Amino acid sequence: MSEKEVRLQVRNVSKNFGITKALQDVSFDLYKGEIHALIGENGSGKSTLTNMLTGIYTLETGKFILDGKEVHPKNQVEANNEGISIIVQEQGTLDGLTVAENIFLGHEDRFIKGGIRNTRAMNQEADKLLKEYGFDKIKANVMVDEYNFEDRKLVEIVKATYFKPKVIVIDETTTALSQEGREELYKHMKRIRDYGGTVIFISHDLDEVLSLSNTITVLRDGIYIDTVDSKDIDVDGLKKLMVGREVSGNYYRADYGEKVSDEVVLSMKNVSVPGLIKNINLDLHKGEILGIGGLSESGMHEIGKAIFGASFDRTGEVVLEDGTKINDIPTAIKHSIAYTSKDRDNESIILNQSIEDNIVLPSLNELAVAGPFQSDRKKKNFADKYAKEISVKMVNTKQFVSQLSGGNKQKVVLARWIGKDSDIVILDSPTRGIDIKVKQDIYQLMDSMRKSGKSILMISEELMELIGMCDRILIMKDGEINGELQRSPELNENALIEKMV
Amino acid sequence: MANTTTQKKTKQAGMNSTLRTLLPVIGLVVIFIVFNTLTSGGMVSSLPLVITQVYPIIISAMGVFFIMTMGGLDFSQGSILGIASIVICAVSKVSIPLSIVCGILSGAAIGAINGFFYVNRKIKSFIVTICTMFLFRGFIKYLTTNSPVAGNASLIYLDSTGLKVTLTVIVLLVGFIFFRFTRFGTDLKAIGAGEKAAKFAGIRTDRMKFWIYVLSGAITGFAAFLSVIHIGSVTASGGNQLETQILIALVLGGMPISGGAKVNFLNIIVGSLLYVILSSGLNMMGVTPQMNQMIQGIIFLIFVFIFADRDANEVVK
Repeated sequence: MSEKEVRLQVRNVSKNFGITKALQDVSFDLYKGEIHALIGENGSGKSTLTNMLTGIYTLETGKFILDGKEVHPKNQVEANNEGISIIVQEQGTLDGLTVAENIFLGHEDRFIKGGIRNTRAMNQEADKLLKEYGFDKIKANVMVDEYNFEDRKLVEIVKATYFKPKVIVIDETTTALSQEGREELYKHMKRIRDYGGTVIFISHDLDEVLSLSNTITVLRDGIYIDTVDSKDIDVDGLKKLMVGREVSGNYYRADYGEKVSDEVVLSMKNVSVPGLIKNINLDLHKGEILGIGGLSESGMHEIGKAIFGASFDRTGEVVLEDGTKINDIPTAIKHSIAYTSKDRDNESIILNQSIEDNIVLPSLNELAVAGPFQSDRKKKNFADKYAKEISVKMVNTKQFVSQLSGGNKQKVVLARWIGKDSDIVILDSPTRGIDIKVKQDIYQLMDSMRKSGKSILMISEELMELIGMCDRILIMKDGEINGELQRSPELNENALIEKMV
Repeated sequence: MANTTTQKKTKQAGMNSTLRTLLPVIGLVVIFIVFNTLTSGGMVSSLPLVITQVYPIIISAMGVFFIMTMGGLDFSQGSILGIASIVICAVSKVSIPLSIVCGILSGAAIGAINGFFYVNRKIKSFIVTICTMFLFRGFIKYLTTNSPVAGNASLIYLDSTGLKVTLTVIVLLVGFIFFRFTRFGTDLKAIGAGEKAAKFAGIRTDRMKFWIYVLSGAITGFAAFLSVIHIGSVTASGGNQLETQILIALVLGGMPISGGAKVNFLNIIVGSLLYVILSSGLNMMGVTPQMNQMIQGIIFLIFVFIFADRDANEVVK
């Protein structure tokens, strides 16, 4: 590339949430035709910055200068009109609207003539776009609710890119996608770069960042650290910039060839959930980390729900060692089963409640002092202890969870179950949207839980963590178990992918 | 520059929560003093009479408070009070203690109908309770077509301030203890703040929702007893508009309509007193009932505006 042309200038941007300084005087430049990665630990201000750029948060101090003109979008539609769009970390499509309505949300004007919306033209246009993108399986006139998380992300890709944006933000989207979905996303990122657009790419997967991006900007605790060329740096270098010191110790667990106990603590017998999983049989052993991998729509996420008693119309049995059958959530929790959902904001955590309330909720019965009576102090101490143990970044435990960053919310979920001291832990995508340092903490935590005789079922789309952490990996395909792989240093991603597709 | 905005924001957030707790209390004191001055001491001298109206409202408001905490609504309270009053009057001719039990049971039965359609048939609570309000209002009118239903004559002799205060305090105290110091309140708040996540934390949300409607009906069925001993009979308008009075009272007391983590048991007490003093004060000043309702409406709107938990409702449906 010859002379680089500036696309977007970030100038002296600051933002505060209450007493938390999310961003402090951040300035840097982004160029045309580049994939510009934005990295940093949880709560370093990446999402805050891009949310202000795209009008989700309001800009208070500082400037965004796009192609020489100052932009100040008040909402996402205005941002779209300036040529800026975003694919968010959480669900970004709206329930109760069709795929087409979601794609053209805020831009319906082009289909309105004389006050009447031409739905047919809109659907046709949307179908055409979906086809161009190669997402034929998604139909424009179907309610978006009917599609799963991953397909809805594909709809968002179309929504955010069909109008050839000048700048697109991809915020931690890849962790929500399976390998297949990721490949699709990468393709479109490269396409945007090639026509001269600028992609702001937020990811915690440093290998992914290095292989895709041209330039990398690092933030730490809301402060701009550096912008580097991806050719000039490696993973360790990036980690050092992010954390501010050398990262040491084991990332995944290090042992191989350890014998897993023969004691079966939980088994699924012929478990089916209509449309999702068929005839699943599996045994979870004491002290074992059992991995479940597969494409997002393979039904793998339903396994966790089925064990936890949260599935609708489940048939077959989930049985514990002592013969107890698990058919509903309270029974599951009572028998020491913990579950963290992939859909964290809806299923794992109550956003509009304090950190304390969220942590103590499943343990309230154990925290009772006399009969049904609770003690405020005991609850507070309990919440403080486990929030600190897993180092949630917060003001105090009275703070509402809605004010926390994605990674910190996940920590609150984990704190809740660590506090509950569950023996069987089902983790669905436990490290989604979490930075390397916390990831390492979670992996080490899993390792120590395993060693203390707890059993873990880890459902994950990240093949590396399955390979790195599990004693055994079951690969799902089309709702069934399609293969089993044992822990070994030789195991690689290709062996897993082979069984997945 | 940035620092001052932060401080302002933090201050604002702090002020909002203080405002939520303090404003209703201040409002109560101010309104009391204002009306007392305007009626030249009339408020103080007729206080016992004013307070008489508060018992049924404050008791049944507690049931609705539980419902609203978990994010539901209930518009059928007036009809529940009416039906329960009729049942109490009819049974009191046999036995007065039995009539109290029957009043509670009839209230619980209507609550169970609300709960069944809300939970099992998944119909929005305000639709269901508007339907039952209508249905049972019709039933009350039918039962009182020819004449008001009169109770046992000795019921009236029970009407003493001592008894009513004692019963009201006991009910509120029991409610408060369970709401504040057991997981009952925590569970309700969790359901109100995020039902799905509450379910995944092991709360039997559907069962809870059903039984709260039953409980709220039963509480209003008990409130009907206090209403009956005061009046002695039930007419077609028995309990009419109680549901709106409760709703206004709770909102005046600072309760967020959407329920959840920010509710406070004090909302019930302060709100009910505020409402009763407001409406009787306007009355005493000679404001016509029509004007009275209008002024109440305006005040209601102002309080809703102040107390709406806008952070929790980013998308308003």
